[in-house]
Amino acid sequence: MSIDIKTIERKGDTPQERVYLIEVFKGMAVTFGHFIRNFLDNSKLYIRHYPEVEPEITPRWRGRHRLTRHEDGTVKCVACFMCQTNCPAKCIMIEAGERGDDRTEKLPIRFDIDLLECIYCGYCVEACPMDAIRMDTGIYTLTGTARESFVIGLEELLRSESPFTDEEYKKGSK
Amino acid sequence: MSLLDTVVTIFRVLFAAFIPVCFLAVLVWMERRGCGFIQDRSGPNRANIFGFRLAGIVQNLADGLKLAFKEDVIPGHVKYKFYFVLAPVIVFTIAIVSFAAVPFADALILEGKTYLMQGIPTDLGILWFLALVGFSVYGIILAGWSSHNKYSMLGGLRAAAQVISYEIPLGLAVISLLIVYGTVNLTGIVQYQGQLLFGFIPMWGIVIQPLGAVIFIVAAFAEANRIPFDLVEGESEIVAGFHTEYSGMKFAMFFMGEYVAMFTSSAVIVTLFFGGFQIPWMSTAFMVEHTRLVVVLLMLLVPVFAYFFAGWIRKNNRSHFPRENDPDLVEAKWYIRVLWVAVILIELVLLFFLIAGAGGAAARILAASLQITSFLVKVTFMCFVYVWVRWTLPRFRYDQLQKLGWQTLLPLSLLNILITSAVVVALS
Repeated sequence: MSIDIKTIERKGDTPQERVYLIEVFKGMAVTFGHFIRNFLDNSKLYIRHYPEVEPEITPRWRGRHRLTRHEDGTVKCVACFMCQTNCPAKCIMIEAGERGDDRTEKLPIRFDIDLLECIYCGYCVEACPMDAIRMDTGIYTLTGTARESFVIGLEELLRSESPFTDEEYKKGSK
Repeated sequence: MSLLDTVVTIFRVLFAAFIPVCFLAVLVWMERRGCGFIQDRSGPNRANIFGFRLAGIVQNLADGLKLAFKEDVIPGHVKYKFYFVLAPVIVFTIAIVSFAAVPFADALILEGKTYLMQGIPTDLGILWFLALVGFSVYGIILAGWSSHNKYSMLGGLRAAAQVISYEIPLGLAVISLLIVYGTVNLTGIVQYQGQLLFGFIPMWGIVIQPLGAVIFIVAAFAEANRIPFDLVEGESEIVAGFHTEYSGMKFAMFFMGEYVAMFTSSAVIVTLFFGGFQIPWMSTAFMVEHTRLVVVLLMLLVPVFAYFFAGWIRKNNRSHFPRENDPDLVEAKWYIRVLWVAVILIELVLLFFLIAGAGGAAARILAASLQITSFLVKVTFMCFVYVWVRWTLPRFRYDQLQKLGWQTLLPLSLLNILITSAVVVALS
């Protein structure tokens, strides 16, 4: 197998470019064009006025996690430890317990995610055989006053709702 | 010493000491908002006092406060703490003092006595600047050496090598100027530039010494350690160069020193090449003789300028997203009110000059204040050029910098001296 060699044309050797100043002035003309346009009318800036204007979050966006439920409201998670095993940041801590109903055997009695450890890679979502954990809450800002407040538990994970419908989530777009 | 002597001396010293420091705020603001606009973003525009943001200038106060309250660390491995503390002091002090010889208005004649409008009324002029600006690099070298750290040391070494290769073209460019102007006194140099070439072109240094101007400006950029010649800092190569180990107010001293040096070298560039305090086609004598004409012209121009400025404020000081009771509009309303009050005050002062009439001390003071305004406007534009270049060009590589200094600028400046002296000899 031969390697594709791409010869890149070297620039900057013409007398005009060797003088520097002409090219410098050309560059300055470009930057001044940008400056004066924005200076005279600052509505032309390419900016989003974040916090007031929030970014558009698509269903594919990996935001904060949540745990899903069956139609009858029971927890989908079966405490199989797939996500915990697969997690490269080791931020998921699950404790399994007896389920009690006739769906499956186990269910998590503790499901903690340390959001300061989490790298939002989405491997837990990919690993899950039950589609029980998703990252589609659309939450992208997390603030707190203590480190402990970033370890979220089962209740918090189950409480969160997704702003997207199931079809949107599966299609990956709105 | 009469009372007038004392007043003029105090005014001169205060002007030379405080204007560079006041410009610090303007320059930092110009740098941050300017680079924002050049890169199509808005720059700092949130910090406010009671909702007044002054287009982002309040951010400087916040930054200054932060730096003042930060811990001032002297790393444990620093052996010579005295030199470590001395270095930023040298950089800052030298930057301010080198402005002292720059004239900001024409020589003022009051009660038959002539007062040179410079911080220090000396005839040394450009020699004072050259001597001191070469000294400021010692602060940087000292900082690099006393930080006792490889990156800082490299930064200091680069500063030393850079200053040797740029001091020479700088000095030689000045020599060709001195051949033309025939004096080292900066006030004399600016008075020379008040003449007209062929009767209509202002005889500014840039017109009669274009090559010298280019060499001097390039070398001045290197002297002030600004991009494209800021290898001394070179954050992508040597962390932060000479000020890697500095924090808090000591870092702020370096930072302020850099901006004051930028102001000073802009002032010198303006003085040497852009007519200094001269207003084109209006000599001091003309302004003193025709005070009434000048005042009437100003009284008409100031409201026109204010009208367009107010329009600009109204257009740009509003929120660009849906917002109830937009506070920015209220802010803009206040700015415009303050602007018109300022215009009324200026008109009243001008009215006084209109009554006072031509020829007297009032006319001379008016001429001087107009020249100060002209000087500061020119310096602001030159500082903008510094900012503008910084956000346009990449940094030169170390060998490229040396090559440019020794192989291009040095022969060019020698050639310039040759041509200039030939022309001067031929014409005289």
